[in-house]
Amino acid sequence: MYNAVVNELIGSLGLIKPELALLVTFVVVIIADLIFKNNKVNLGLSILGTIVSGIFLIGMSGTNTSAFANLIAVDPFSEFFKYLILISTLIVLVMSEFSEELHNRDVWMGEYYMLVLGMALGMFLLAGATNLIMIYLALETMSMSSYILSGYTKEIKRSSEASLKYVIFGSLSSGIMIYGMSILFGMTGSLDLYAIQSYLAANGFFQPAIFISGLMVIAGFAYKISAVPFHFWTPDVYEGSPITITAYLSVASKAAGFAVLVRFIKLTFFDAAGSSDESWIMMNSIPWDMVLAVLAVATMTLGNIVALWQSNVKRMLAYSSIAHAGYLLMGIVVMTNTGLMSILVYFFFYLLMNFGAFIVVMLFAHKIGSEEMDDYEGIGYQAPVLASLLTLFLVSLTGLPPTAGFIGKLVLFGAVLDSGWYWLAVIGVLNSVVSLYYYAKVVRNMWLRKVDNGKGTLKFSIQSQALVMVLGIPTLVFGLFFGPIMRWAEHSVRIFLGN
Amino acid sequence: MNWYNIVFYLFALIVLVSAAGVVFSRKMMYAAFSLLFTFFGVAGLYVLLNADFIAVTQIMVYIGGILILIIFGVMLTSKFTDLEIKSGTTGTVQYVLAGISTIIVAAALIIMYLNVDWVQNPVPELESTVKPIGILLMTKYFLAFQVAAILLLLAFIGAAKIARRK
Amino acid sequence: MLIDYSVVLVYLIVGVLFVAAGIVTAALIRPSRPNPRKNSTYESGEEPIGSPWIQFNNRFYIIALAFIIFDVELVMLFPWATAFKEIGWFAFWGMIVFAFILALGLAYDWAKGLLDWEKPNPQIPSLDELVITREQYLDELKKKEQTGN
Repeated sequence: MYNAVVNELIGSLGLIKPELALLVTFVVVIIADLIFKNNKVNLGLSILGTIVSGIFLIGMSGTNTSAFANLIAVDPFSEFFKYLILISTLIVLVMSEFSEELHNRDVWMGEYYMLVLGMALGMFLLAGATNLIMIYLALETMSMSSYILSGYTKEIKRSSEASLKYVIFGSLSSGIMIYGMSILFGMTGSLDLYAIQSYLAANGFFQPAIFISGLMVIAGFAYKISAVPFHFWTPDVYEGSPITITAYLSVASKAAGFAVLVRFIKLTFFDAAGSSDESWIMMNSIPWDMVLAVLAVATMTLGNIVALWQSNVKRMLAYSSIAHAGYLLMGIVVMTNTGLMSILVYFFFYLLMNFGAFIVVMLFAHKIGSEEMDDYEGIGYQAPVLASLLTLFLVSLTGLPPTAGFIGKLVLFGAVLDSGWYWLAVIGVLNSVVSLYYYAKVVRNMWLRKVDNGKGTLKFSIQSQALVMVLGIPTLVFGLFFGPIMRWAEHSVRIFLGN
Repeated sequence: MNWYNIVFYLFALIVLVSAAGVVFSRKMMYAAFSLLFTFFGVAGLYVLLNADFIAVTQIMVYIGGILILIIFGVMLTSKFTDLEIKSGTTGTVQYVLAGISTIIVAAALIIMYLNVDWVQNPVPELESTVKPIGILLMTKYFLAFQVAAILLLLAFIGAAKIARRK
Repeated sequence: MLIDYSVVLVYLIVGVLFVAAGIVTAALIRPSRPNPRKNSTYESGEEPIGSPWIQFNNRFYIIALAFIIFDVELVMLFPWATAFKEIGWFAFWGMIVFAFILALGLAYDWAKGLLDWEKPNPQIPSLDELVITREQYLDELKKKEQTGN
């Protein structure tokens, strides 16, 4: 009697080959850790598994369908985010090799690789989830790994404190999100996002109820992307975690959170029949765009203004990532496909810039033993290559030409202006100008403050410098030749819109 | 006023009173034991909704597992189990703000509950819900089932990391 | 179905009432005349030495954590067991994968020594602290005379 369903499930297994590759890698790393007890083997297997998953992902390009009885969707939109997550995972795995705070203390790295792989798997599923239960489970898988990873160097008190705060705030936001999901389920009788949309389109309902429950669910996602006022965990967690995990959280975790936020809003609250590619018609006249605009403005402004006062580079980068989440939220506010494309483009460049900045900060922190901006004085002359790369990344984060960050902001603000949100674009530009101050503070300390204390040049290993260059060169190149990325993003903006 | 309503109000009262006990208790162990009654009341509410499997799962997993873990956690972290929970940094401003926001949230939720027409699927007469849940787990929610296994595995690995003696 | 559970409810209520009636009646009728001897801790006739509170053994927590995870697996096994005949081989292999993933976690924790039982080391008071020699006693008397007077 259940043959049809079972056949569909067996067919779906072929659609989740990248996730299966990650799962098999996860299992193999666990078994290898028990048999070989060698950290190098664990690292090698993790990197190999990530690459294999990437190969499967390339083999699946162009699929646009839903799998596992409408539990997840395999479409170009989720594929783009899966690429972002894979690249981040690869960079983090290589970055962990150079991280002394993880290797100094004789910390066993086996669980680190397993948890990173588990987190990547959770993020893959989150990027494609189209069912409320699947969203919740994938979010929890991702969160659970990141709670433990952020407290990985638990001997340092800051790290345990970061992990505890992350767990407490995270559980609270998960609770609120699932409460909103339960109200949504009660109103529409279904957990499937497509079914919820068709029910809402067909029947009338009590508007404040949709508003409250939608807001609660969005609160859960906003926690992950550290939008204001759900950002309170970000500075402490980013400061306390090992810097590799901070970088991973600030890029990949945000990417997955954005993917699910966009999918949820587009699939649940927008009229599939009436929307065209250019503008999405909002159902039931709840002003979701105003809500998101308020969120975007608050996030940008608070992120930028508080970053001005920071003297610790890691904490400043944490607040700057909050500000970037604000810019990205502007892309959803416009509710067009162009806006969505600009988010994808910006995310790709943000990955390069943010990882680059974090890696250089990590390398400097190991040599000079501090993450304070004042201790960066004169480091431009002691480590010219890395300092100039850091300058490049900071310039790109501000959004000045000819870097990739400028192109990202250009596309984003272009989409915002195209849809008539002039005041939002003005606030965005003002915020970028404000951000110039705190990025420039670091650059000024590095190059314009010469300290004559006789310290010679700092030596860094070739591999670590090579890693930073692998991120730095595209940042410059894509600032000039950004065509391929734009075309890829344009191609990826189709979300599978249900049967 | 039929029996169903009376039993519902009884269980709802148990849940509310013990939940208030969890929040307002001065001593940690009292809070943990009040949580036991909250879970038990919720299990009763599940039975009233015809979800018998979930009710028994609630008792087995929540009371038999999670509450034990909470009590062990309380016993681990306090030398004396009658340690008082003091929150010394709250003043009147916080109480007033907290009270106002509670009233706003409660009012919004109550207005919403009264005015929404909740989808009420007709409840079929079932012997027990275990078999339909089993069929759903294996067909429609198969991927969710496996992701739950991965989540539990991550919990094991996290425990191996955090609880390691160093 | 609800009729069957009403039997359980009646059972519970009667059970609670029995226990409550016993305790309340006893508390009402018995005399209450506490004195320090009666209120002190019972230690088989000896005077209690030291604090009764000992440090909780960590391993209980780890065992309870492992128990919860397998309890959830049990909760998933029950519905599977009733339904898997209808679904056939797919349900069988699905559950094998599920159980394998959880067994892997157990194997990992076991191999890393998390399930080993750590014996707590209690502080047993040694005889040296309780019994002193004559010379030590005279020394202490001398010290008291010097500091006290």
